[in-house]
Amino acid sequence: MPIWKNLSVIRKFVQLLAFLFLVYGSVFVGFYSADKLSGAFPVLSCAYDAKTADYCVLIPLQHQLGHGLGPAIAAGKFTLSLLLPILTTLGTFLLLFILLNKAFCGWLCPLGFFQEVLGMIGQKLRLNRTESLDDNLVDRIRPAKWLMLGLLVILLPLASGLGFVGHELGDPFCQICPSRILTSLFAGQLNQLYIDTSSTGYMILSIIADLLFGLILVLSLTMRQPFCRICPLLAMHALFKKVGLVKLVKNYTPRCDKCGLCAKACPMDIREIHTSKEKDILMPDCTLCGRCVEFCPDKGVMALKYAVIPIKVSDPAYFKERNKAQKRWEGKQKPSRRVKKD
Amino acid sequence: MALFSINAEAAMHWSPVPKEKSHGHGGHGGHDRHAGKPFLLHAGEGAEVQLMSPSKVVQPLTLEHGRVSVKAMGTGNYHALVAKRSVGDLHESAVRYIYMNGKPSGVSPSLLIGHEKSALEIEPAPLAREHWRYYSNTDAQFIVRFQGEPLAGAKVHMQTGNGSSAEFAANTEGLVTIPLPEDFTYEKPGRMANPPSEFVLTAEHHVGTERHITTFSYGYHINPEHWQSTELGLAVIGGGMFIGGFITLRKRRRREKK
Ligand code: SF4
Ligand code: SF4
Ligand code: SF4
Repeated sequence: MPIWKNLSVIRKFVQLLAFLFLVYGSVFVGFYSADKLSGAFPVLSCAYDAKTADYCVLIPLQHQLGHGLGPAIAAGKFTLSLLLPILTTLGTFLLLFILLNKAFCGWLCPLGFFQEVLGMIGQKLRLNRTESLDDNLVDRIRPAKWLMLGLLVILLPLASGLGFVGHELGDPFCQICPSRILTSLFAGQLNQLYIDTSSTGYMILSIIADLLFGLILVLSLTMRQPFCRICPLLAMHALFKKVGLVKLVKNYTPRCDKCGLCAKACPMDIREIHTSKEKDILMPDCTLCGRCVEFCPDKGVMALKYAVIPIKVSDPAYFKERNKAQKRWEGKQKPSRRVKKD
Repeated sequence: MALFSINAEAAMHWSPVPKEKSHGHGGHGGHDRHAGKPFLLHAGEGAEVQLMSPSKVVQPLTLEHGRVSVKAMGTGNYHALVAKRSVGDLHESAVRYIYMNGKPSGVSPSLLIGHEKSALEIEPAPLAREHWRYYSNTDAQFIVRFQGEPLAGAKVHMQTGNGSSAEFAANTEGLVTIPLPEDFTYEKPGRMANPPSEFVLTAEHHVGTERHITTFSYGYHINPEHWQSTELGLAVIGGGMFIGGFITLRKRRRREKK
């Protein structure tokens, strides 16, 4: 298959360009563009990165709650105008989000791309890649993203602003966000990689951040998208997923029951796409990567659409070629040691 | 060569009015105050003072005992506080950027920062933004401009509230790199425990008999490396990788057993 026809390759190329733009973009568009473009980007592109061109929605959100709304309520000076910045942040997020829906994750997020690249390296190193997690484990992990959003992005910053918890918890998600360490390291800064000994709170948060980063570095080699599974942005996206223009649709046929290739291809282990009889199969965990469409062998059963325009529709000929390309890429899988011994 | 030495103490410059004792939640760089922010203009008798919004809308201000109180003009983001005075052939200016909370301005602060506010100007390149601060023991960069054009070789004098002073020269593009001095006395860990200090940059330029003097002033903080350890950070990342390896191995074993 010519690579320019391979959706995954096209996506990697877009992701690479986005990575370069979101990590080094200020070199091209100026340092302050973030304040102009949005400051509400729907992926983990970080404001701590000295060269970034735009930054993630979570930072203004935490700040507006923790330094604006919280203290104002605490001082009894709440006015509706205080909600304006928060609404503007959310509004910008929503606007960008309508344009691309959750494809922001699968196509633009620097951390998502980094995890995928590590996964590719893992495959090449023959690290006996575990294709998917147990259903049970997946189910247990799924609520974590809501907890991250509710607790770390909304409640704790607000509680910190109200004076109930320490100043450390004013932007707790940023404090543990792996993208902060990743993008700043890529921009040549070592200053986000540290253990902060100034207070117990900061110390705990920085330990969590570095542990998490180390975990992701290793887990990504064998597990697909480990951080995405707990990412608060995925939860935030899920809240709005109906309004996005990019859609994932399925025309269920009884053959689906026996196949399940789509679910196997899904990096987020969304097995429901295989069993669902709904038309709209955009699930909360989906990153709109389109792999399920690529690996569906039935004509027209699955499709990735922009509003009503089909971008990619499942097709047996494409599937065959794509599968071949995938096998070639993966090479011969090394049997594990134990199997060899037996 | 500097034919004259600039006395930074005497040059007109802005500084924030020192805070009264902290009120519980204080100390977050003024992010959370919605009332006016007070600033002092030093050596600025008779100067004309104005506030410029991110979209370059100008509001005249009046000095009261050398003080002004500034409030955002409708939108948030960086505003410029500008003082100018001309007496005979001497033209002086002082510029300071102030971050205001409020409705997003929709324009990039680079518009305001790049805009010519006085003939001679020290332009931050870039200005520390959002999670950036000026820190001791790091380099800060500026471009000296005269009538909008970079001033090659311009001399810039730095004076800090902690008593350091030094002189630097801009390169051929007018760019000057200022190593902010490590001149804080460090006692307690944590940003909150270490109040910021101020640095003032002064540049001077002569054209015939005309003299131009300008200042740029801003706060800078003690470098957090005093209480943040990169080595420990690396060690903990190593720990995380170790745990990751352990989880992976265990998972693989379980799978093989099945
Ligand atoms: S630290 Fe993470 S959450 Fe915070 S701005 Fe950066 S990317 Fe966003
Ligand atoms: S879910 Fe993954 S791809 Fe999406 S924003 Fe989070 S880290 Fe990025
Ligand atoms: S459901 Fe499809 S598009 Fe969504 S993450 Fe899984 S494979 Fe990608």
